[in-house]
Amino acid sequence: MDGRLLSETFVELADTMVAGFDVIEFMHVLTDRSVDLLGASAAGLLLADPRGELRVVAASSEQVRLLELFQIQHDQGPCLDCFRRGEPVSATDLTAAAGRWPRFAPAARQAGFAAVQALPMRLRTQIIGALNLFRVAAGPFGEAETRVGQALADVATISLLHERSLRRSETLNEQLQVALNSRVTIEQAKGKLAERAGIDMDQAFEILRSYARARNRRLSELAMAFVTGSEDLPALSAGQSPLPGPGQPPRPPR
Amino acid sequence: MVAIWDLVAQQAAGRQARVSVQDVCAAAVAAIQVSGAGVLAVSRAGAVHVIWATDQVSKQLADIELTVGEGPRADASAFGGPVLASDLGHDDIVGRWPAFAPAAQAAGAAAIFAFPLQIGAIRVGVLEMYRRLPSPLSTLALGDALLFADTATLLLLEGRQAGGLDDDGLARDLDGDGLDGDALDGDGRDGAGQGGTGNPAGGAGRGPAGQPMELGRRRAEIDQATGMLTEQLGTGIAEAFVRLRAYAYAQDRQLGDVARDIVTRRLRLDAGDGPGTGTGPAGVDGPGAGGPSIGTGPAGADGPGHRNLAGRRHRRPGT
Repeated sequence: MDGRLLSETFVELADTMVAGFDVIEFMHVLTDRSVDLLGASAAGLLLADPRGELRVVAASSEQVRLLELFQIQHDQGPCLDCFRRGEPVSATDLTAAAGRWPRFAPAARQAGFAAVQALPMRLRTQIIGALNLFRVAAGPFGEAETRVGQALADVATISLLHERSLRRSETLNEQLQVALNSRVTIEQAKGKLAERAGIDMDQAFEILRSYARARNRRLSELAMAFVTGSEDLPALSAGQSPLPGPGQPPRPPR
Repeated sequence: MVAIWDLVAQQAAGRQARVSVQDVCAAAVAAIQVSGAGVLAVSRAGAVHVIWATDQVSKQLADIELTVGEGPRADASAFGGPVLASDLGHDDIVGRWPAFAPAAQAAGAAAIFAFPLQIGAIRVGVLEMYRRLPSPLSTLALGDALLFADTATLLLLEGRQAGGLDDDGLARDLDGDGLDGDALDGDGRDGAGQGGTGNPAGGAGRGPAGQPMELGRRRAEIDQATGMLTEQLGTGIAEAFVRLRAYAYAQDRQLGDVARDIVTRRLRLDAGDGPGTGTGPAGVDGPGAGGPSIGTGPAGADGPGHRNLAGRRHRRPGT
């Protein structure tokens, strides 16, 4: 593992986790960096909703987001096992994992992945989610990489608690719901922008994200302002890149 | 969520009335073992109305909050997440609400839990519960409380409590400016706030009301489709969501499947259409004014009197 990249990543994450940071944006950065740092091909992050479901809050690609949803829908896969047992779960060769996950293993292979690892997000006794790492090459996950991956999962947990008192055990559940609802607001904003500009959801997300970054705004606050129309956001209102995505019909005239 | 809806519907059946947030409060009190519950609707401008309170303490708590200008309801609204204060005597809580915490304790509350009634950017109010003795909500109870809050959100959004406001002396707005529909409006602008005054999508007694839905499946697509509909329909986010549900209901389709058709651009809804009509492969007209009414809760009317709450969870991971 690249030691320099490792220290840079943790410096970046620490820098990001200052006052006013956005937890969903942070978790996106975290999945992106997990890929860079751990030799993974893709990463996804799930949080447990006390309503009784796991929810995807960040993914390094749309493909991984779909695979995470697949696990949730079919109630099967490394992330669910990891979450239930509260310990790391891995499969070094997905071609040999069909007995373990009869539906997930073929789906993951079809998406081009050969190995998968899931690391728990823990706070004291509570398991609040899992970080899922996918690789295109089969083979074991190194001990050093696993330790760093677990550290990243722990940082994701801590990010939920930023600026809030750790003395009250209820803080985590409060923050978890804020994060989950922020995710909903961001999806609503993506839909609104995608429709307005005639672009796809990934493009809409990137525009919202770069708009927020360029103006030093929290992503979820920006999304809220855009959805409710509480602020004039001229660049967003115009739709910055009105290029139709592949396979989409042109936007009908208004 | 289905079992939560059953519990709520049973309450409505018991009093032979249409399902309302009153029933959500009553069912929550029984299921979560809190001492009382209330629903407050919050306008964007901050005007607060007590829509329902199960008892005098719940109502008093709302009064205190409005008087002292701080407390769990305001925090839950501003914060966008639940506020869980299992011990109003805890230093952190007293430090947070120096005026509210002692006054609430004097009124008889030792623990308060406030849940924003929200779906992303849609914000319609707060469900507040209290306990006479300090104790935290268990994880299971927290999950239930969130589901009750979801149900109350849907009821407020769609039913607007047209008939339910005057049922009892407790249901009075506290700032005396009348229970106008705008106070319930999630974003303060769109027409979904005209509770029961003729908005065909939001008219009480029509459409899916607070009935359970599969928000989990295709969750992202539902939220994305709602955002897209604000543009297609030229409405606020709250009405866009109501229209999406009304369409799915009218077509007898899953919300997530309709949402996927919208996100993949196989289906558009247009401003001129009533709820339940759209341009797409289905191409079937909606019910217009003929939607089935929400009666006294068919799901729960003849159900068993007691339910095993724990037994309804199929997929709670980790237990």
